[in-house]
Amino acid sequence: MTLSQTVTLVDTLARFHLKGESRQYFLGYLWWVLEPLLYVGVFYLVFDVLLGSRQPDFLYFLMVGKLTFIWFSKSVNQAAGSLEANKGLMAQTNLRKELFPLAVIHQGVYRQLAVFGFLICFLLMGGYLPSVAWLWLIPLALLQAMLIAGCGLLAALLVSLRRDFRLVIQLGTVFLLFMSGIFWDLNAIADARLRDGLLVLNPLANLIDCYRQVLMLGEAPKAIRLIWLLGESLLLLIPAWVAYDRLQFWIARQVVTR
Amino acid sequence: MTALLTLTDVSMHFSREADSRYAVFGGINLKVGAGECVALIGRNGSGKSTLLRVMAKIFAPTSGSVSWAPGVAVSLLTLGLGFRPDLSGRDNAYLSCLLLGLSRDEATQSLSQIEAFCDIGTFFDEPVRSYSAGMRARLGFGTALMNRSQVILIDETLSVGDQQFREKAREALERELAGDRSVVLVSHAEQQVQRLCQRAVLLENGVIAAEGSPDDVLAEYAATIGKTP
Repeated sequence: MTLSQTVTLVDTLARFHLKGESRQYFLGYLWWVLEPLLYVGVFYLVFDVLLGSRQPDFLYFLMVGKLTFIWFSKSVNQAAGSLEANKGLMAQTNLRKELFPLAVIHQGVYRQLAVFGFLICFLLMGGYLPSVAWLWLIPLALLQAMLIAGCGLLAALLVSLRRDFRLVIQLGTVFLLFMSGIFWDLNAIADARLRDGLLVLNPLANLIDCYRQVLMLGEAPKAIRLIWLLGESLLLLIPAWVAYDRLQFWIARQVVTR
Repeated sequence: MTALLTLTDVSMHFSREADSRYAVFGGINLKVGAGECVALIGRNGSGKSTLLRVMAKIFAPTSGSVSWAPGVAVSLLTLGLGFRPDLSGRDNAYLSCLLLGLSRDEATQSLSQIEAFCDIGTFFDEPVRSYSAGMRARLGFGTALMNRSQVILIDETLSVGDQQFREKAREALERELAGDRSVVLVSHAEQQVQRLCQRAVLLENGVIAAEGSPDDVLAEYAATIGKTP
């Protein structure tokens, strides 16, 4: 299969899955935006209405964090189960195994494009003025897509080794939900070393902070933080790629004969 | 005759539990020549489907080697490859063609051919979940015929649909498989094996127990399962 055929196949698998999925629900494609908004609504109710957050513009602050986090968590969790979900197909064809998690990750990209569109409209309605800095949204989204691809490919590989990893990955994303500054501000950590350490060790926290800097403050993110993100994404992507290249038969055997 | 596919001393083990391994088959030596149709016969659980997957590059053998002639594509003929019930017959056929390795243009061009072969009328644009089993089989068979591989591996998928469609499917398949294409056919249908295959192989207790003309091997198989042919 040529590269062009592979790209066409991944894109078609993603688009057709989304098409099939939308037909299962009365509100169809609207759920791409509605589902993450409902999560935002729940968090807003708890942390602002009930607990009284002191964060200025908390709704916008929460939306930027939560809507980008959901892209990561949903894509990684779905990618984790993608090899198992395509067991039948894997038993019938010798397609490269990374196509399955990549197709799931690609679905997430389509959904997120709609979510970003909504987020920008919401920020504009809230009085946030567009600036040149908003263009940083493009490289940030690309870096997040790379991070998701690295995590998603490795997650799928781990689940093909032992199903138990599925639970560990779900728990891991819940841990990241609390550690990535989604409903609290990382910059409120008084200890600068601790704050910087968190930003380095948790690329998602770094990303979310950069998104807020771009969209809410209209500032370009620091180059060093983007370099960290790129390095960390590559650190996940390269070993994942090598592993898939060497373990094609092993994956098929693990998944099909389970 | 040029061998398109050669299996040399191939064996396969699977893990049943964490510590126990069992042999599916071992010491398999087999050659499939250009234009040849070979039947693979054996009881349920004898490893026929696993052997086809080794031939199709889905599984690597535990030991031994499998070699394919350079540039030769080998694949399983599968009905309903990647079908999703919420998509229309047209979308599923297109997706299936891509999964078979066709380019976007080839897949698009194949759709009219598949639609004509399936003969399911306007249902071709309806979701597959609304199809009867027969209609689903028609769509699956029509799509499977787009498989362009030189070596086709068939795992008991020929008897689909009603009597009239079965006949149409049989003719279409025999037409497609004529020429230089090679076939390995797993089947329990004796007439089908006798009509299509020049050679048969009996897989029994994890080894090749008999190999030769379909009549002889079918008789041997009948003897092993305790019935007369």
